[in-house]
Amino acid sequence: MADKIDIKNVAKLASIKLNQEEEDRLESDLSMIIEHFDALSKMDLPDDKISIHPLGMSLNLAEDIASKSLTHKEALSNAPESKDGQFVVPPSLD
Amino acid sequence: MSIIPTIGMETHVELKTNSKMFCRCHVLDTESPNESLCPTCLGLPGSLPVPNKKAIEFITLLALSTNCSITNDGMFHRKNYFYPDLPKNYQISQFDLPVGIEGSLEIVVDGEFGTVEIERVHMEEDTGKSTHIGSGRIDSATSTHLDFNRAGIPLVEVVTKPLIKSSKEAVAYIEELRQLVIDLDISEGKLEKGNLRFDANISVAHEGDKELGTKVEIKNMNSLKSLEKAIEYEISRQTKMLIDKENIIQETRHWDEKKEVTSSMRSKEGSADYRYFSDPDIPNMILSNDFVNEVKKTIPELPSQKRKMFIETGLSIEDANNLGKNTKWIGDLYKSITEITGDSKSSFNWVTGELQGQLRKLEITHLPNWVTAKNLSEIIFLVKEDKISFTSGKEILANLIEQEIVPEQFAIENNLIQENNIEEISKIVEEVIEKNSEVLERIANGEEKLIGFLVGQIIKISNGQVNASVAKELLLKEISS
Amino acid sequence: MANYKLPISQINQLFKNKELKPSELYAETFERAAITESIIHGHLELFQEENLKKALNSDKRYEKGKNLGNLDGIPIAIKDNINISGYATTCSSKMLSNYISPYDATVITRLKNEGALFTGKTNLDEFAMGSSTENSAFGPTKNPWDTSRVPGGSSGGSAAVVSAGSAIASLGSDTGGSIRQPASFCGVVGFKPTYGTVSRFGLVAFASSLDQIGPITNHVEDARLIFNSMKGHDPSDATSLIESKAKQPKLKNAKIGIIKELMEDGISEDAKKEVHKVAKLLEAEGHEIVEVSLPLTKMSISIYYLIAPAECSANLSRFDGVRYGNRVSGSTSSEMMELTRANGFGPEVKKRILLGTYALSAGYYDAYYGQALKARSMMKKEFTDVYEDVDYLISPTTPSDPFKFGEKSDNQLEMYMSDLCTIPANLVGMPAISIPTGLSSQGLPLSVQIMSPSNTDNTLLDFSESLESLVAFSDKPVINGVVS
Repeated sequence: MADKIDIKNVAKLASIKLNQEEEDRLESDLSMIIEHFDALSKMDLPDDKISIHPLGMSLNLAEDIASKSLTHKEALSNAPESKDGQFVVPPSLD
Repeated sequence: MSIIPTIGMETHVELKTNSKMFCRCHVLDTESPNESLCPTCLGLPGSLPVPNKKAIEFITLLALSTNCSITNDGMFHRKNYFYPDLPKNYQISQFDLPVGIEGSLEIVVDGEFGTVEIERVHMEEDTGKSTHIGSGRIDSATSTHLDFNRAGIPLVEVVTKPLIKSSKEAVAYIEELRQLVIDLDISEGKLEKGNLRFDANISVAHEGDKELGTKVEIKNMNSLKSLEKAIEYEISRQTKMLIDKENIIQETRHWDEKKEVTSSMRSKEGSADYRYFSDPDIPNMILSNDFVNEVKKTIPELPSQKRKMFIETGLSIEDANNLGKNTKWIGDLYKSITEITGDSKSSFNWVTGELQGQLRKLEITHLPNWVTAKNLSEIIFLVKEDKISFTSGKEILANLIEQEIVPEQFAIENNLIQENNIEEISKIVEEVIEKNSEVLERIANGEEKLIGFLVGQIIKISNGQVNASVAKELLLKEISS
Repeated sequence: MANYKLPISQINQLFKNKELKPSELYAETFERAAITESIIHGHLELFQEENLKKALNSDKRYEKGKNLGNLDGIPIAIKDNINISGYATTCSSKMLSNYISPYDATVITRLKNEGALFTGKTNLDEFAMGSSTENSAFGPTKNPWDTSRVPGGSSGGSAAVVSAGSAIASLGSDTGGSIRQPASFCGVVGFKPTYGTVSRFGLVAFASSLDQIGPITNHVEDARLIFNSMKGHDPSDATSLIESKAKQPKLKNAKIGIIKELMEDGISEDAKKEVHKVAKLLEAEGHEIVEVSLPLTKMSISIYYLIAPAECSANLSRFDGVRYGNRVSGSTSSEMMELTRANGFGPEVKKRILLGTYALSAGYYDAYYGQALKARSMMKKEFTDVYEDVDYLISPTTPSDPFKFGEKSDNQLEMYMSDLCTIPANLVGMPAISIPTGLSSQGLPLSVQIMSPSNTDNTLLDFSESLESLVAFSDKPVINGVVS
């Protein structure tokens, strides 16, 4: 089942820059793990309604009552760079 | 062979809840950046989302009002992509189990009814705001500033089926959707504030083609005018390419307001891999039939119903449509006046023409509380019954806006009551004719413009109290005899 | 016995009887830290200054007879993926080495309300991914029983400090065994509650549908005490359960199933022996021992290593250097994010993120992640069916005794297999506890794991407490010639 893993594409999707050594190693590691999944991927499993939750718990929605949490200072306290109360990053195009 | 455009609209509606979608931070309208934040909407490590009940009620209201089927057993999904204004680098949204599906919205285009089919209505959260700093052009910015006040605000995304056929239809649809969210009281609906944002998906194909052409997404249209222009531009761009057999790339293009063109955005072509999966932090959202029925009970008068009601009072589809999209009190006033006067046309003209016009000139946005359907109807009756001229009616209205007066009383006190008696008018006509024989001669010689002068004389002598049209009629009779 | 090894209830009694002061107890644990930390490196940070003040306040409360609760004055170590306001929460990652949290996790608020002291933050495998604490960006923690061996992971620091005596108890987090396995390796008690009973708000998420916070302690009764102080619905956590009723298993004449598939290949003889030993003890007490089969447990590793990385790949996306974290600059924001993440994450974290990303990506979802979800549902059903017949399930906690540093780091699959016995409880959501029962042929601690149906936590703890007395395991590690 497993095609060759396009590690460059996966790294791009995950927004992690890999060097060549990492790419090679990870491609090999991941392939080995994926192969291990082969048995699972081939199992014939019923298409029942799946709850992602172990206990299939029900959702409790919150009342629309607003309250203050972080101060402006707290919000920016770990900012690598900020100016005029805003977070600063290199230019984001698109 | 003609080329047919196909348009699909994706609209985001900002809901006017007190708190954000997945946390209880205030939904603030402020210039001050990063004021309304908590670990959840700032995406701090260890934070968790808890959905807002009111937002779910609002989206259910919208879904029901657009005739959608409600998904009783739905869920939230994570839409994964990296962008600085997205705190978690995934947006909590809905993928294949949205709150509402398969709905429709009645619209009016060029005075005719139409329907826009809605594919889905789903719940998601807004991102923060990016400001690009630099020389002013997006592609030469030196840095980007981020304000996360907006991050996490509840958004409803409404997606139409790709069945819209013209820019006019698209505009009419957005206008209708905007009116709907305003009437439902779930959003302020102000385009200029970003309460309603839309993207258009446009493709073209040869008439008769079974498949749609390549879809191009157009973003950054900030007004209805831009929407119309952008669609027109894009249709013509794609049409030309289709005719020239050029390859239309599936991409996202940006509407340039200044240059009035759509241009390619730098990003990737093709569709992104969002790796949707159900959000494990949020259990399935069960919307019981009881819940849905409770929401159904709160549906107010919808724009389509208002429109129907106005049409039943005697207005055209176009007028009824425009009236419904006006500020609410205008429509209410029109309705009350029509009930009293029984004359929809006059009522419509007086309310939307004269009253709104005068208020606008005076820069008054609210109707003074002494101006009522009753006294406005009084003015209308006075004019209808020829007791006063139309001009006098306008004068009374102007005074009424300024202070509390009784129209008929005002008319009497100010000598505005018209003389309608033919005999009385004839006397004045004769008098004027006698005194202006030279003018009569000149009229007989072809200077027909001078008739107006004579009418003016008649009005002058009668202190403006003569029914001017009757006077003119009588004058013309006399002249021709 | 040294005070710091006594059960909390006894310490509390000493406080109340004015035979011991909280500040004195804190001084003892701090002294233990002074001796042991340079050897085992369990804590990343110690909160000494704050604790001196807090301990004195606790003293005053006991003097007046107005202590806040049973945990008033008790020093508890906190795994460094749980947020404490005003302190660093590093998750043992370079990414967050400079991150100071502005808020408290719900469990911290609840423990604070009881007057508990926090000794400091403990070491873990980076972002809770690992089974040995070798993946910490700040150096590994050493097993107090044998410093050439791992303490287990990912809550290695939390388990080691309790074993060494520099904390009375600790909090860990468990996603695939990260509380139980290190507890086993360090010869202490580790408890993973039913999913949803303890709030995850403030726990840095690894795999959202699997993570739970739980106590690591010297005694089962301490685990019960801490669990009950933390548990209960939290409106800030949508996966937090509202009180839920369930049929409780029996405490007397119970039926206990030994899981066949967890007593086969891959499990050491020593580990199997412990289970048999415990089974005999239980039988002598009037309980019935049977063998049960849960075939899908053989798929546990595959299911887990698809679900956990998939969820973590999204949970860790927020670490991008925009709003916090160690930023590496770039010419565009996307370059900045790619470099920040490349630099901030260690190799195991990167691997799991990429694995998860791959499993969720277009074209692969159905075969991998989708399949794993289905298999998980089926596994739940398998367990539910078995619990119709038995009250508890028993297995080894780990396939073997603690391994040496570097022994498994080259073989990823072998490392992942350490979680074989513990993963099912996370997949199914049921509570599970690890209790030390004996020593291996190498003199290293071995434990046995007991599981019960969801929402039977306190009954499980009661049952485990009686097992604990039966087993009477009292060995302690020797550090620097001193018995802990």
